[in-house]
Amino acid sequence: MSHPAMIAAPPTLTAPELLLIPGLPLAAFAAILLSGRLAGRAAAWLAVAALAGACGVSLGLGPAVFGGSRLSIGWAWLSAADPRWAVGLAVDGLSWIMLLVVTAIGTMIACYSIGYMHDDKHFPRFFAYLSLFCASMLGLVLADHFLLLYACWELVGLCSYLLISFWFEKPAAAAAGRKAFLTTRIGDTGLLLGILLLAGVPGGLVFSQLPEVARRLPESTVTLISLLIFLGAAGKSAQVPLHVWLPDAMEGPTPVSALIHAATMVAAGVYLVARTLPLFTPDSLQVVLAVGLTTHLLAGTVALTQTDIKRVLAYSTLSQLGLMMAALGIGARSAAVFHLVTHACFKAVLFLAAGSVIHATHEQDLSRLGGLRRAMPWTAALFLLASLSMGGTFLLSGFWSKDAILLAAAASSPWLLWVLLLGAAMTAGYIFRLYLLCFEGEPRHHEERHAHVRPPGPHPAMAGAGGLEAHGGRTGESPAIMVLPMAVLGIGAALVGLVESPWLGHPFLRLLNDPHVHEHIDAGVAVLSTGSLAVGIWLAWVVGVRRRKVLPEALRPLGRRLYQLAANTYYVDECYGRFIIRPFLSVAERLFAFDQRVIDAAVNGVGRLGTTIGALKERFDQLVVDRLVNATAETARGLGLFLRRLQTGVVHQYLLVVIVAVVVLSLALRR
Amino acid sequence: MIPVQPLLLLSHALFSLGVYGILTRRNAVGLLLAVELILNAAALNFVLFGRVFAHVQAQAFALFIIALAACEAVVGLAIVLSLSRYAKTVLADHADALKG
Repeated sequence: MSHPAMIAAPPTLTAPELLLIPGLPLAAFAAILLSGRLAGRAAAWLAVAALAGACGVSLGLGPAVFGGSRLSIGWAWLSAADPRWAVGLAVDGLSWIMLLVVTAIGTMIACYSIGYMHDDKHFPRFFAYLSLFCASMLGLVLADHFLLLYACWELVGLCSYLLISFWFEKPAAAAAGRKAFLTTRIGDTGLLLGILLLAGVPGGLVFSQLPEVARRLPESTVTLISLLIFLGAAGKSAQVPLHVWLPDAMEGPTPVSALIHAATMVAAGVYLVARTLPLFTPDSLQVVLAVGLTTHLLAGTVALTQTDIKRVLAYSTLSQLGLMMAALGIGARSAAVFHLVTHACFKAVLFLAAGSVIHATHEQDLSRLGGLRRAMPWTAALFLLASLSMGGTFLLSGFWSKDAILLAAAASSPWLLWVLLLGAAMTAGYIFRLYLLCFEGEPRHHEERHAHVRPPGPHPAMAGAGGLEAHGGRTGESPAIMVLPMAVLGIGAALVGLVESPWLGHPFLRLLNDPHVHEHIDAGVAVLSTGSLAVGIWLAWVVGVRRRKVLPEALRPLGRRLYQLAANTYYVDECYGRFIIRPFLSVAERLFAFDQRVIDAAVNGVGRLGTTIGALKERFDQLVVDRLVNATAETARGLGLFLRRLQTGVVHQYLLVVIVAVVVLSLALRR
Repeated sequence: MIPVQPLLLLSHALFSLGVYGILTRRNAVGLLLAVELILNAAALNFVLFGRVFAHVQAQAFALFIIALAACEAVVGLAIVLSLSRYAKTVLADHADALKG
């Protein structure tokens, strides 16, 4: 398992235009947020312009990056003296590749969305979120400091949540958004812990100094840190066991699925691991490899059984992400990143084509689709092109990236090569099954059956044409504003790989400073990979379309049981529900009951104590104090009543009293 | 020489009669008469001892008593007159309206 070569630090140039790259989409976000309702349709073009601008700036940086220098701009964020907190943006080969991927695909998908979201009443909000997402993703790949990366990481997660639950009135979409956010949150906690551990080390938070940090710390600490970071990457890139959010995330609009959940955001995890690869010790790389392979194979099997277009593509994305992680686990950083790029292109095309189908037919279930090749020729052709590329057809980009991974696997160990070939066969299988069921065969789509087939060709690009059901219920090709971006990306899906071919001098590897350069194609691996592609296509044709049974009679019940298991996604969601969520909720309920019965009772008890004391005092007041007062009054009254008797009103009695008093006094006072 | 004893006896007898009269006369005027008796007894006493000890002031005092007695009789009779007019009686024990 090799690490990327530790070379001397490249010359660093200051490039203030780096701020434009995330800045333009961010400005677009702010502008749309403040004026969206006024702008209406213009909001979309604002977003497209911002992204195109960012793309242009990124392209402009190309020559400098190719020359080997590193562009950056930094500022002292928290403290001018402590270099630990000098945050900044930096571009090296890896970042530049990611920049191009995000901005180019983002621009195309933004154009596509103008057609797709045309009739949506929340049109401006979509483009605001899209711009924010692109801004944060660009910030993420440009960050040269863990803190900035983490901030953008969280922002990206937020945008994913906002966009998945874009149609939040639909309960399924709202639940899916929550699920995505919570699941990636679990991963983010790991990432945060890793960052906190690194913050204690001088220079630990800056990417360019990671190799030194790895050398300085003890190996167990480095393993721990890298595993925590991998936990974050696993959450974001939907590796097993944190993969459950990605299929549900298909509730969001298809452009969102294309951009975020196929091309860019889920690749952020792969990018993070590639970026921090110096921290990964052989032990942690084994973990990465294991997780990646599990995800690759598990998701591949599920993808073979799903009946919803977007679900198949979601599980396909999971599977390819697992492949990228496995490649990183082997140590083939450039192969993994290369596959990231090619996957972004062809997966985006696949999703956009699926969106085109959904937009035209309003159907997502494969059992109600079929034979759409005649009605939507461009979509079908692009889907086929992307499928061939994904399967690994010679000369298309998928072949080159998959081949690079297979070569690295072969160099590492032979059984790994065969496992990956199995995965490749499954990949070809599910994607061609999808193509065949959707575009070939008998049209099961009822509108298609009862109507004329429209002559093929996209509509003229009228602003806001959206012309599908406009012709009396017939399914037709999507408008040009949707087909053109697909076509551009389709060209990319086909040709991007050639960039890396031996005939052009491996510019990719040079960008990533990878010293391993294969001067020629390895014939053996190429033949094997083409063979697995053929196997996959044959299986898809035979089982999916011809519906012939391939298993021998004895194995068929087992086969059926396995099929059911895979079709139910191995019951992972149910397990989580039963063993994690329900206990958690019951604990929460018990705590709530405790809160009500004990704490509230205590508070009420204190209140009741006050009232009881008051009642006691009232009793005391009544029994003692009042009685005292009354007794006093009674005494006075009694005395008065008694003394009253002296007042008889009879003069003689008064006179007698006087005389008696005189006598008594004179006797008493005599000397 | 003056015979003190008998005069003293006389004055005391007058006083006692007066006291007896105060305590027993029902008629208010009778009561006033008894009061006069007491006063005069006191005046006699004064004069006697004035003569015995050769004090002139005693005689003056006796004149005081006579004057006062006169005033007091006036007031008393006025009260009795009012009483007789409003209560239609002159009997002292009937005038018990101040009974508490």
